[in-house]
Amino acid sequence: MSSYCSLAYLGLFLPIVMVLYQLTPQKHRWKALLAASYLFFWTISGKLVMFLIFSTCSIHHFGLWMTLVQEEKKGKLAEAEKSEKKQIKGVYQRKLRGIVTLAVLLHIGVLVVLKYSTFFGTNLNTLLAACKVSFRLPIPSFILPIGISFYTMQAVSYLFDVYRGTIRADRNLGRLALYMSFFPQIMEGPICRYSDTATQLWSCEKISYHNMTMGMQRIAFGLMKKIVIADRLNLFIKNVFTNHASYDGGVIAVAMVCYTCQLYMEFSGTIDVVIGSAEIFGIKMPENFRQPFFSKTISEFWTRWHITLGAWFRDYVFYPLSMSKPLKHMTVSARKHLGNHFGPLVAGSIALFVVWICNGLWHGAGWFYIFFGLYHFGLILLGNMFGPLFKTTAEKLHIDRNKWYYRGIQIIRTAILVNIGELFFRSNGLRVGLTMFKKMVTNFSFASIKSRQILTLGIDKYDVLILAVSILLVFAVSVMRERGIGIRTAIARQNIVVRWAFYYGLILFIVIFGAYGKGYVPIDPIYANF
Amino acid sequence: MKEKYKFIIKPILFVAILCMLLIFFSFLFAPKNNIEEAGIHMVNANGILGEREHTIDVLVVGDSESYSAISPMEMWQRYGFTSYVCGTILQPLLLSERFIERTFEAQSPTVVILETNTIFRETTLSQDIESKLESYFSVFQYHNRWKDLSGYDFFREPRYTWTDDSKGYICNAYIKPATAAGYMAYTDKVEKIPETNQAYLKNIIDLCRDNNAELVLLSTPSTVNWNYKRHNAIENFANEYGVKYLDMNLIADEIAIDWSVDTRDAGDHVNYTGSVKVSAYLGQYLKEEYDLPDHREDPAYSSWHDAMEGYIVHVEEEKEARAAARK
Repeated sequence: MSSYCSLAYLGLFLPIVMVLYQLTPQKHRWKALLAASYLFFWTISGKLVMFLIFSTCSIHHFGLWMTLVQEEKKGKLAEAEKSEKKQIKGVYQRKLRGIVTLAVLLHIGVLVVLKYSTFFGTNLNTLLAACKVSFRLPIPSFILPIGISFYTMQAVSYLFDVYRGTIRADRNLGRLALYMSFFPQIMEGPICRYSDTATQLWSCEKISYHNMTMGMQRIAFGLMKKIVIADRLNLFIKNVFTNHASYDGGVIAVAMVCYTCQLYMEFSGTIDVVIGSAEIFGIKMPENFRQPFFSKTISEFWTRWHITLGAWFRDYVFYPLSMSKPLKHMTVSARKHLGNHFGPLVAGSIALFVVWICNGLWHGAGWFYIFFGLYHFGLILLGNMFGPLFKTTAEKLHIDRNKWYYRGIQIIRTAILVNIGELFFRSNGLRVGLTMFKKMVTNFSFASIKSRQILTLGIDKYDVLILAVSILLVFAVSVMRERGIGIRTAIARQNIVVRWAFYYGLILFIVIFGAYGKGYVPIDPIYANF
Repeated sequence: MKEKYKFIIKPILFVAILCMLLIFFSFLFAPKNNIEEAGIHMVNANGILGEREHTIDVLVVGDSESYSAISPMEMWQRYGFTSYVCGTILQPLLLSERFIERTFEAQSPTVVILETNTIFRETTLSQDIESKLESYFSVFQYHNRWKDLSGYDFFREPRYTWTDDSKGYICNAYIKPATAAGYMAYTDKVEKIPETNQAYLKNIIDLCRDNNAELVLLSTPSTVNWNYKRHNAIENFANEYGVKYLDMNLIADEIAIDWSVDTRDAGDHVNYTGSVKVSAYLGQYLKEEYDLPDHREDPAYSSWHDAMEGYIVHVEEEKEARAAARK
């Protein structure tokens, strides 16, 4: 089961789990789901399942420890005199902070060691060599358990939420284990909060016909995005990114746009399969995408693309940092010197900088990932700094910022900036990314497109036709969603003939126009590696 | 009752209609001939579809080792029995099973030879399911023919007219010597045959028995792919299930394989000269063990003499091309 779009998952694993789940009495269904989730993890990562077990047990333990301290604090406060309360609160707050710090460090530590040892080790050795020190660190290399970046973030969010008192620590290890390991989301997210899914997972309602059909529709739509669009683009993108020196800037620009499209279709398509799978069991997961290419700014883009990752960084890195004492003091001081607009921006930008370094590193251990993060940080910072200026200028020039053409320009501008970022993301090396970007700008030409040479690089005219039709289909659905029209609900309202005709149409569209089998190389799940 | 309708009757009806649609599209997308222009995959191996019914005495399946080492026309020339190699690159065992199954629909071979290298090639569960789907609904294999579809495809039944003069064998006269010293060094260790492949092997044994064909497991010479651990695994399996096993790697000297000239890729596969030696030995072995008929004087097999002429031309062309490249 290499991916959620594989036949092993969709044709065997998921249907078997559905049948077993339905046949199991309600009070034992959570066990069926948990067993299925661990089996799923085991088939991909084998013995590395011990890391997941460790994470689950440790958050269970730390959560209960914090609850114990919180209850002790309540007891003490109840007995204490008014004058002592502040001191008691301070003591227990420090104790709680110590526990949560230890727990978070433990989880992040495991992630850092497994995922980043090679990167940090190599860079340290380069630094030592530059400083003419003969000592070299041994560079370890580890096999990563599948989804470690995702479940670690779920674990940390649980710990923080217990610490903040947003949720109560769960005494039920089974429920926590299910929250951490639920098979549809373990490999690629979305990064769920305990309050999002734990209770739903535990309630284990019977599969309803409505949920089953809704879930399957979403799965089919996701498969269409992945198999018809993302996989079809793969050969062309591979060709251009591998042999970029052979092509002009026009081809590189087309490949860059194709890659952004592929990334979106692959990731959002897989997330559709994930959310659809969960929906079958009556679990409503948080959305990870909300029509990101309708964003007018980069900030907005990140509230629509990989939403749960952005929200995690916002809630567990940005806010705590912004609200920390040193940054608060800095804001006060900067406000005095730089005014009410730029003053608060200083502290906010420091927090934002940390967020984007972490975001870049989360995607992978490489300088180009850090660059990718900093690129977005730079764009957001520029937006924050000059946003008011643009607004004032537009007002002075009597430009209505709500008019369709102004919004259109904003959307296109944002899309171009996102595409450039993805060029570096895909280029597998900062230097390569810069070379490709330079060539795209300085050697831009439509020659390969005019001469149709571009149609010999892995996609032919028929592929282009199918891509155009499929992308238009996704675009139409996106417009409907943007306008609040639920397409699946609209379909569900139709009579059985129309409904089934639509289902068969979609299935056959995937079967016939899917880029699988001879002549195609399907793309590996991109986000499963993060 | 309502639940039963929703969860049992409706899904069954839905799947039944879907199957009918897939059958229709499988008919539509199926190549209407076994030639490359008609869009068929694995053209050489599928040349067997054009052979006259019940004329093939020996069927060979396997991966590139099989079509590199076994030349049916060499065996025809020497011993007069007919054979065909349905070997394909990286052929998984589940595909070997499909080839055997499909061959039995139109042929009744006395012997089925399975080249053993494929037995150690693992497949994923998804590949297994995909292969099963392809065997039931060919639209999964030939869906990409939508690019070449014509009105003709809607009405015509497939009609296979082409046969391969080399009968599935692919001639390669390139020489890249191998250092073969000690590649079959004795050990009593046994390499594990993947569980799923064991199941496929058992299916193949049953399939052959049901069709009165003798299964022979054959390891053709390969210094890269073969070793004693693998030999032991196949030998144990063959003994357990009462199947014949011939390991040419143990008798490479008897076959007179010279690894300095008889391989095209440093021991991975034998080349043309190697295949002539392998085929000569195998032909004699099959003739003696199974008393296969000699059709050379039979007018019903005259097309094989025509094929022989084509085969010789093809081999000469290949040899000349290699010689020219060396110059």
